[in-house]
Amino acid sequence: MKTLKNKLLLLLGICLLTMHVHAQDIFISKNAAVSFFSSTVMEDIEGKSTTASSVINAKTREIIFKVSNTSFQFKKKLMQEHFNENYMESDRFPFSKFSGRITDDTDLTKDGNYTVNVEGNLDIHGVTKPYQCKVTLLIAQGIITAKTAFKVKIEDHQIKVPSLVFKNIAEFVEVRLSAVYQAKKT
Amino acid sequence: MRQKIRTTLQQTHLQKILLLFTLLISSLYSFGQQDLEKELTNTNPVHEKVFATFKDTKLINSHTNETIHKNELEFKVDHRFGDIGGSNGGIKQFFGLDNSTDVRIGFDYGISDRLSVGLARAKGATAVQQLYETSIKFRLLEQTTDDYIPFAVTLFGSNTIAAVHASDDPAAATAYRKFTDRMNYVTQIIFARKFNSNFSFSLTPGYLHSNFTAFRDQNDLFAIGAGARAKISKRMAIVVDYSIPFRNRADKEYLEQTSGVKFYNPLGVGLEIETGGHVFHLNFTNAAAIEEMQYISQTTSSWLKGQYRWGFSIARRFSFNKKETRQ
Repeated sequence: MKTLKNKLLLLLGICLLTMHVHAQDIFISKNAAVSFFSSTVMEDIEGKSTTASSVINAKTREIIFKVSNTSFQFKKKLMQEHFNENYMESDRFPFSKFSGRITDDTDLTKDGNYTVNVEGNLDIHGVTKPYQCKVTLLIAQGIITAKTAFKVKIEDHQIKVPSLVFKNIAEFVEVRLSAVYQAKKT
Repeated sequence: MRQKIRTTLQQTHLQKILLLFTLLISSLYSFGQQDLEKELTNTNPVHEKVFATFKDTKLINSHTNETIHKNELEFKVDHRFGDIGGSNGGIKQFFGLDNSTDVRIGFDYGISDRLSVGLARAKGATAVQQLYETSIKFRLLEQTTDDYIPFAVTLFGSNTIAAVHASDDPAAATAYRKFTDRMNYVTQIIFARKFNSNFSFSLTPGYLHSNFTAFRDQNDLFAIGAGARAKISKRMAIVVDYSIPFRNRADKEYLEQTSGVKFYNPLGVGLEIETGGHVFHLNFTNAAAIEEMQYISQTTSSWLKGQYRWGFSIARRFSFNKKETRQ
C-alpha cells in the first residue's frame, strides 16, 4: 500500500514539474498597444488603446491579440462616441480580436531579432477575415517585444460610412500593434 | 471488523489521491491550444462609463444628462413656428410657417468632460421677451455598463434675463422696477438611464424661480419632466418629452380667468437625425417657448386644439483639441 502511495506521489510530482515547464511556453502581454490612423484630405483620425492584451504559446507558435473597442482613446471625444456608437457598434461587438499562428520555425526561447510571418483571422465588427502580416520580434532574457503594422479595409468588416462623411474617413485604416510579453508566472 | 474499516479508510484515501491526480491531469490539458484565449482575462476595464445616453444636450424642450466634451463648442439654433391648427393656424398662416413663436441661438462650451457652460439668446414666447440665458451643467454621476452606477445624474442651472422694455401696467409680467426683477432661475436634476443601445429614459425634477411675475403668478414653481429616446435606425431616433408644472390651483384659476388663456403641460414629439458632428431635430410641440423658464410654466396652447407647431433644431459641434502629432 505504502509503495503505491509513494509511486502516486512521484507521478504527481512529475505532473507538477511538467506543468511548470508547460506554463513557461505561455507569454502574456497585458498592456499591449493598438493604434489606428485614418488619413484623408479632410481629416486625420487617430485612435489609441494601451489596454489591449495578447498571448503567445511559444511551443505551438499560436498568438492571440484582443482589444476592447471602448478602450480606444481619441483626441476628439465626439469621435470616440461616434466610433463606438456608429461604426464599431461596441455594445454589440465589444472586442476586436486577432488569432493566428507564427508560420516560421523561429525558436522563441532564443534571444535575438527576428522578422516572422503571422497568419490568422482578424475579427472586427463581428466580421472575420483572414490576414497575413510580418511581425518583428525582439527576444531578450525571456521578454518578447513584438511590433507590426497592417492595413484594414473598413468595408471588409461591414463598417458602413454614410455618404455625408465619406470624405472624412479613409477607405483603408492603418493599424499598428506593439506588445511586450513576459513568461506566464506559475 | 477493524481490519475492514481500515481497508475502506485506505481505499478512500487512495480515491482522494486519484481524484487529485485526475484533476491535475485535466488542469494540464487545459493549457491546450483552444484555451490560450483564457489567458486573456480582464481585458475589459471595470465600471466602464456608458456613452451616448442621448445624442444631444436637449431632447425637444427638456435637457438631457449629456454635456459637451472638454474643449468642444456646440452651436445650436432652435426654432418654433406658429400653431399648425386652431384659431391661429390653418392655411391662412400656412400652417404656422408664417410665424415664429420663438427662436433661440446658443453656444455651449465644455470646460471639462463633466462641466459645461452656455450662453444663449432667445426671442421669448410670452410678454417676457429678449432673453439672455447663461447656464451651467455638471455631470454628477455617470452610468456604468456593469450597473455599478445604474443611472446618470446631471445638474443644470440657468439664469435668464429679460431685456424687454418694462411695462407701465403694474399687473403685467414685465412691470420691472429694477434690474434684478428681470432675472429668472432654473435648477434641475436630470436622472437618466440608457436601458439598452436603443432606448434611453430621463426624469427631471426641477425648480423655477422668477424674481418678478404677472400679478398673482407664482414666483416659485416645482415641476417634473420626463423624456425618452428610441432609436429607429443607426442614425435616427424618436424623441419624446413631457413636463408637468405644479401650479397653485387658486392662482392658476385666477390667471386663467383674467387673461382668458389656459395652461397646458408641454409635450414634444420629434425625429432626431445624427450625421456625425451635426444633430438635427424635427419636432412637434405645443410649447411655444424654448427657454426652461417659459415653456415649463407658460405653455398656453393645446395639442387637442391643434395648437402644436413644427420646430427644428440644428446642433453643430466644434472641437478645439489640438491635433496630436503623428509619430
